[in-house]
Amino acid sequence: MSLLELEDVTASYGHAQVLHGISFSLSENGATGLLGANGAGKTTTLRAISGTVRTTGRILFEGRDISGLGPDRTAHLGIAHVPEGRGTLGQLSVRENLLVGAYQRKDRKQIATDVDYVLDLFPNLQERVRSNAAALSGGEQQMLAVGRAFMAKPRVILLDEASLGLAPSTARRVYDAIVRLRREAQVSMVVVEQNANLAFSVVDDATVLETGRVALHGSRDELMGMDAVRRAYLGG
Amino acid sequence: MSYFIQVVVDGLSNGAIYAAIALAIVLVYRATGLINFAQGGMAVTATFVAYALTRVGVPVLLALVVAVVFGFLLGALLERGVMRHFEGGDPDTAVVATIALLVVLSGLSAYFFGYEPHPFPSLFPNRTIEVLGVFVSLRSIGTITVLLVVMIALQLLFRSTKLGLAMRAVADNPRSSALSGLPVSRLLMIGWGLAAALGAIAGVLVAPQLFISPGMLDFVLVYALASAILGGLDSPIGAVVAAAFIGVVENLAGAYLDFIGDDLKIAVPFIAVIVILVVRPQGLFGRKVTVRV
Amino acid sequence: MATTTAPRSTTGTASSATARWKGIAAVGVLAVALVVAPLVSSPYINYQLSSIAVFAVAILGLNIVMGYTGQVSLGQSAFLGLGAYIAAYGILHGWPGPLTLLLCAVVPAVVGMLVALAAARLRGLALAMITLALPIVGVPLARRFDEFTGGSQGQVVSWLRAPESIGLANDQWRYYVVVLIAVVAFVLARNLVRGRIGRSFAIVKENEAVALSMGVSPYRTKVLAFTIASLLGGVSGFMYLAIVQYTSPETLVFATSINLVAAMVIGGSASIVGTVLGAVYYVLVPVLAGQVNSSRTALISGAVLLAVLFLLPAGLVSLPRRLARLRSSRGRPPQPPAHPTTSDEAAQPASAPPAATTDQHS
Repeated sequence: MSLLELEDVTASYGHAQVLHGISFSLSENGATGLLGANGAGKTTTLRAISGTVRTTGRILFEGRDISGLGPDRTAHLGIAHVPEGRGTLGQLSVRENLLVGAYQRKDRKQIATDVDYVLDLFPNLQERVRSNAAALSGGEQQMLAVGRAFMAKPRVILLDEASLGLAPSTARRVYDAIVRLRREAQVSMVVVEQNANLAFSVVDDATVLETGRVALHGSRDELMGMDAVRRAYLGG
Repeated sequence: MSYFIQVVVDGLSNGAIYAAIALAIVLVYRATGLINFAQGGMAVTATFVAYALTRVGVPVLLALVVAVVFGFLLGALLERGVMRHFEGGDPDTAVVATIALLVVLSGLSAYFFGYEPHPFPSLFPNRTIEVLGVFVSLRSIGTITVLLVVMIALQLLFRSTKLGLAMRAVADNPRSSALSGLPVSRLLMIGWGLAAALGAIAGVLVAPQLFISPGMLDFVLVYALASAILGGLDSPIGAVVAAAFIGVVENLAGAYLDFIGDDLKIAVPFIAVIVILVVRPQGLFGRKVTVRV
Repeated sequence: MATTTAPRSTTGTASSATARWKGIAAVGVLAVALVVAPLVSSPYINYQLSSIAVFAVAILGLNIVMGYTGQVSLGQSAFLGLGAYIAAYGILHGWPGPLTLLLCAVVPAVVGMLVALAAARLRGLALAMITLALPIVGVPLARRFDEFTGGSQGQVVSWLRAPESIGLANDQWRYYVVVLIAVVAFVLARNLVRGRIGRSFAIVKENEAVALSMGVSPYRTKVLAFTIASLLGGVSGFMYLAIVQYTSPETLVFATSINLVAAMVIGGSASIVGTVLGAVYYVLVPVLAGQVNSSRTALISGAVLLAVLFLLPAGLVSLPRRLARLRSSRGRPPQPPAHPTTSDEAAQPASAPPAATTDQHS
């Protein structure tokens, strides 16, 4: 059974419809990518899953239709959304941001262990653990956002453009940690990424969106083998 | 020398009044990210409830407890019924909505009790004791003590509890907080409720000195805002220290600088606040926020 | 977030031409109405109309710094009061009217600029605090320096009587003076906010970092906005004295600043028309509430304020748009949650085949 399954999902902001019937699925412990140009509906698809945009169609999480639930409810079910623009809490310290991520959990000891795990995953954060998140660099904020999502001990992390605005080497480091997180923490992922090279380092398969519709779906190797995909998303 | 100490002590007891409301402002700011002009109105309304109870013979302490509970419910209700409508919109509109609430609440108080001030019984005995040649009223000592307890409680709430952390997170970024599963709307209600409950304590503490009227806290609100902002807005300790500073500076200027006197003494702390803010924009105790580019 | 609205008529040259003619016609009607109104109204009505002009200019200044540039100001009443005091001083010392008006504009502008030079580096609440301090400090200063201000008693003046030859009553004459000043101020402000400076205001409001990258100095822009706001505040003080013939420390109290902010938001932030509507609100609501029930003026005003905020969060200026939307949504329900729209059905076959050609992972 798939962990997450979207069936013919549409979404709109006010009168503007952005998704016109998206379907794809994510298997248990899998990682799937959403590729596409700006405005293709990648971010909106993630927002549909986490319940921050109005949708129609069915969104099944562990077999249960979660469409229409708000973000705090979907978070409770085990969906952690790392939003576009990172969403770090600027006035709170790094440690406090991580603790906010663990808000729904009651296992205090394990929370402390997990904070240490995140700081081990992102050594940059270790040095800044007491500073305000607003004082961090873009890369550090992205690391913090991923770490905060992990702190919820989610079943699936929705990752939105984790490389946006980062220097290539920093983006690489963020993705290396995400790969490690996927391997060690047994969490599934939906990865939205402009840079398909980075995306393909994490995902098993991917869906290509075009103007709110599914244009193409395939495994990583298939997509990487396609000339059209290479030209459009892999720079050559 | 003892005159100097007397002036300072009197300044501190004024400062305690400013601090009481400043703490409530800090609380709402911490919980909602808004400057709440309705703070004074909520405090006065809750204090009038206590006043009505004392008029029918309820002991002051019990009246205070009822006023605090009433304040909590009032604050939560106003958040749920009014302020929720403005969340996520233009912050200017939300602030003007708090101004509207202030006007409505004072109007309501005036509707039931009129505009003229009424005497209000004190929680503490109305006696003055002499310590080393300085006269201090028990009322001031009591007010300051309660205030320090409240300040420490707030500091603990924000720094060491999960609820406090969650409230700060929601004030910082409600949308992002919801993604971590925080019950944003409930937390905002609690924030407003606590602030109004705190306002009730502040109102009952200062009403014996100021006499209770719908406009009782109008001028205090300005001092309290100055204290809260000077203190860095997110720091309960900062707000109290700043309020004490403002109270003392005002009194000292009035007492020692002849050309200032009673008329102009209010200008002195505000000019001091301007100078301090220009030099140190994050306030005395605020954490510096580096703005992302 | 209300940002500056670009000209909305982009549908075609034909309709924009008719819109232009409609606009010119509306301005013409308005001009005639402004000229005729005092001739057919009672002195009381003329006084209220003149008050609207006075506070429209004060709110215009506030809107430039707050609505257009996004900088909180809780001190506009201080500049209103300063202008009124300068006007009173000038009149009592026999200065010519135009010179007095000039000083009422320049002196508050300089004061506002000096404050802004120190404060414009601050943002948000620190800035709010500094502007809030202006009326708080101003009121006791006005009481204290009574040789200039008349102290708590204030200054009574008697000026701006209608010239005998014209045959107008004083209230009509004063109406024409303040309305003329207001019209000039609004035309200048409108050109300002629609031009290069207005664009830099909007960019600074939107994002200071972006402004910097576009070569717009946020600091200088904010100082400019504050200076213009203070200038207009001072001019409104001159106008205030023209119709009230009296000023006292009460003119600059903090509560007036707060009410001006409320009126600005009620009228419509970053909107010229909204500014006028805000002034109408500012003047008329207390008057009307007082007529309904004089002992409940505050309660009624507050309730009206809250009601307008609820129904029109973007201000009175958004009323036509709001009505249009209500009308259109009554015609056809905007949300189709139950049945898919036609575009969904079109999307289905388009997306299915490519997905089918690739391997279905399991």
